Amino acid sequence: MGLQLEATSSHSGQQTLSLEALDALPQSAFVTTTIWTDGAVAFSGVSLKTLLDHFMAKGVEVELVALNDYAIKIPFEELEDDIPIIATRMGGEVMSVRDKGPFWLVYPYDSDPKYRSEVVYSRSIWQLSRVKVLD
Amino acid sequence: MERNSYRIAIVTAMGLLLLLLVLMVGSLVAQLRSLSSAQSDDMQWSIGQLDTEFANLSALLSRQLSDAALPEAQIALRADIALSRLNILNSGSTAELFRTSAEAQQYFPELATYADKVIAILDEPAGLTRSALTRLRDETEAIRPTIRQVTLLGVRIGAENSDLRRAEFSRQLARTGSAAVALIVVMGGLLIVLDRLLRRADERDAKLLASSRQLASTIGASLDAIVTADGEGKVTDFNDAAEKMFGWTRAEILGKPLDKTIIPHRMRTAHKLGMSRYMLNGQRKVVDGGRVEMVGLRKSGFEFPLELNINSVEIGGETRFVGYLRDISLRKYTEKQLIDARDRAEQMDKAKSKFLAIMSHEMRTPLNGILGILDLLKTTKIDDKQAHYVRVATASSEILLEQINEALDITRIESGAIPLVDQAFDAEDLIASLVDVLTPLAEEKDLDLAAHIADSATGEMIGDGGRIRQILTNLIGNAIKFTETGGITIYASTTEAKGWSQLSVSVSDTGPGIPPDERELVFEDFVTLSRAEDGRQVRGDGLGLSISRRIARQMQGDLVFEEAEGGGAKFTLTLPVRRGAGKVLPLAPDRGAMEEMDECHVLVVEDNSVNRRVLGDMLRGMDHIVHEAINGVDCLEKANGRKFNVIFMDISMPIMDGIEATRRLRNDGGLNSDTTIIGLTAHGREEYRLLAEDAGMNRFQTKPIRLEVLRKLLDGPDANSSETMREGIQEPAEKAPVNNTDALQELAAALGANQVQHTVSQFFDELEGLMLHLPTGNGSDLADHSHKMKGAASLLGFVRLERSLTELEVSARAGLHHDRDQLADGLRQVADQEKRAAKDHLTRLVQ
Repeated sequence: MGLQLEATSSHSGQQTLSLEALDALPQSAFVTTTIWTDGAVAFSGVSLKTLLDHFMAKGVEVELVALNDYAIKIPFEELEDDIPIIATRMGGEVMSVRDKGPFWLVYPYDSDPKYRSEVVYSRSIWQLSRVKVLD
Repeated sequence: MERNSYRIAIVTAMGLLLLLLVLMVGSLVAQLRSLSSAQSDDMQWSIGQLDTEFANLSALLSRQLSDAALPEAQIALRADIALSRLNILNSGSTAELFRTSAEAQQYFPELATYADKVIAILDEPAGLTRSALTRLRDETEAIRPTIRQVTLLGVRIGAENSDLRRAEFSRQLARTGSAAVALIVVMGGLLIVLDRLLRRADERDAKLLASSRQLASTIGASLDAIVTADGEGKVTDFNDAAEKMFGWTRAEILGKPLDKTIIPHRMRTAHKLGMSRYMLNGQRKVVDGGRVEMVGLRKSGFEFPLELNINSVEIGGETRFVGYLRDISLRKYTEKQLIDARDRAEQMDKAKSKFLAIMSHEMRTPLNGILGILDLLKTTKIDDKQAHYVRVATASSEILLEQINEALDITRIESGAIPLVDQAFDAEDLIASLVDVLTPLAEEKDLDLAAHIADSATGEMIGDGGRIRQILTNLIGNAIKFTETGGITIYASTTEAKGWSQLSVSVSDTGPGIPPDERELVFEDFVTLSRAEDGRQVRGDGLGLSISRRIARQMQGDLVFEEAEGGGAKFTLTLPVRRGAGKVLPLAPDRGAMEEMDECHVLVVEDNSVNRRVLGDMLRGMDHIVHEAINGVDCLEKANGRKFNVIFMDISMPIMDGIEATRRLRNDGGLNSDTTIIGLTAHGREEYRLLAEDAGMNRFQTKPIRLEVLRKLLDGPDANSSETMREGIQEPAEKAPVNNTDALQELAAALGANQVQHTVSQFFDELEGLMLHLPTGNGSDLADHSHKMKGAASLLGFVRLERSLTELEVSARAGLHHDRDQLADGLRQVADQEKRAAKDHLTRLVQ
């Protein structure tokens, strides 16, 4: 099961990225607690910005959609270089669908109070299946 | 102290305020964090989603069983998603939420069983068969009520937690609110304190301002200049009066050093030294030393005297000097004027005294001639009427002499020049001799003169006997003069005190006395009480009592008047005297030089030729051999040549005076070192007495010398030595035969016609000399010369010449030159006439 990337301005149009394809991109990692897990957990993966930059996807907003069609939108200017990341691994292990996998958008909630807001919690989408860049 | 406690209160309040602020901020931050972390909302949503997810799964499974339209993987994914939702309940915040709820715990095993069954079905190797789907649907249907219960429970617990959080929030708000209220109260209190402090500070400021304004106005309006300086001597304040005094404005001088501005250049080094001395060890000379007089410097460069008072003040560990200065130029000027005025007055006084002394000397010289001639006159044959005239003339001359002497005494007393001599005397002897001398005077008026000496007043005493005699003579003389009937009584006594005695001598008479209102007046200068009888020549007593009292007081005694019994006058002299021991020694030892009276060689040393001639003639008339010398040097030369029996020595002479000549004679061990020397002076009675005695003179005689006195001087050993050493009272004129021939005739009779002729021709020779110098001579020399010639002319009876010479003297003295020729002509005429007349006269006399 891969991650679908849709971007109208992107040169590659629509494509599905496998776990291997994501692993090939520059990796980001941090340790943090979450409200959904017990204790501090290490997350690693590709930062959303790195992913979009890699495919030269440009737009106003990026829409992310989960397997159960839960969807959220993040404005482009709110994307930081390394935050958030599309985590591919939790505690060094890949994640199954039964445990919020295979991809989970996470923020380093402990590093700053601003990451412990309603907006950030709602953006922390798990079982991520699709990333769509909106013009 | 008070200020410190306020400071502590303020700091404490501020600390409290800060602490409250920190607490509040902390509490607010916590609140904010709790508000901004929205985990509960998201949790509620996740729990809510659980029911929806299972409803969807159940619906999907029922549809797949009926139409089998979806692929197997799709079904498995949906089941996995539902399972992942179940996992939420076991981890994170949701697990936390349910952990405390017992109700939830009873559902969880059921849910775990369900999850296990579903996973087992999904993982069956046969895949999702129809039976598997059916079992899956049945299990899901069966678990849904439980899921619903858990969802509702989650919502309820979430709501309860929210309530708890709200309650906590409101508690926190209440805490914050009360903190804020407390803060406001504290701030309010602080504000009140601050307000009070401010008000107090304002009041203090106002008071300070008022007092500093008052001080400023005091300083500003001060008549004295006030200058303040700091420890380095720089001016820190300078008031209006100082500006006026020094010419600097305040703005100009502030901050400038004193020693570059108002201190005179010549004092700047001293000022610096003084300042450093003061700053180093507090040594003070001027500072805090009261009023001092100094000199200030004006900006214009003028110095002026000022009076200064400097205080030092310590202000905050710094020394300040406050100087109060006053310009005393005017005072100094006034002082100087006063001093000048005093000096001038003293000078005038001295000039007056000198004038009196000179005058009396000048008057004595002609008197010398008059009295000498009168004495000579008495030795000639004259009738009774002429004798009376001579007596009256003599008495008048004597009065004149006495008055001159008194005037001189006053001058001397005023200048403090009366020397008092401590000598041994015997009051009894002294009074007895006075009585002897004055008895004839008393007998003239048929008055009794008696003396009573108390036993206590006998014996030797130490004091100025001569002065006592002078006073008593005056008192007795006055008593005789003012008493017509009765008598005069003298009473002497002493009272003893420790170490000294008080001698008291009273002279009382039976005269009219003195009215009470005039009793003190008689002691004043120049007062003559109008009691002299008509038509009778009386002795002037203008100065006698005044002089007597002054002398008595100078001797620490006094002279007082009281009324005698019977209304007469009684004068009492009281004097402190010391008691001596032994006999009274004669004042001047008799050298016995007069024993060889037969062949007596006498040297007359006198610069005035007329006086020399008169004295010489008197002595020749007494059959002595007379030698003459014109000054001290001449005297020494003559004395070197032969021994003299007696030397008459004038005191004041040019080249060498009599005092020096006597001293040399006594000390040179020559022929005349033992010769009797009699001093002669036309000056006052006292000036030369001590000098004369010291030099070794045996006696001392004031000119004019009288024939009678001369005779006494040369006659016996000095029974009257003390009398002659000071001129005593004048004896009553001797009754002598007289005739009425003119002056030349009298002289010729006394001295011999040849002698007189010689004198006259010498006089005219000298007059010729004077007239030769007349047109060209120096004014004062001419005046002196005229004066000398005038005396001689008077002696020789050339009355008209005397008058002309007087005119000439006055004119020359005044420096008038224009009428000299006229005067010279007049003098020549008169001189020729007088010379001719004298020649005729003398020719007759010689024949």
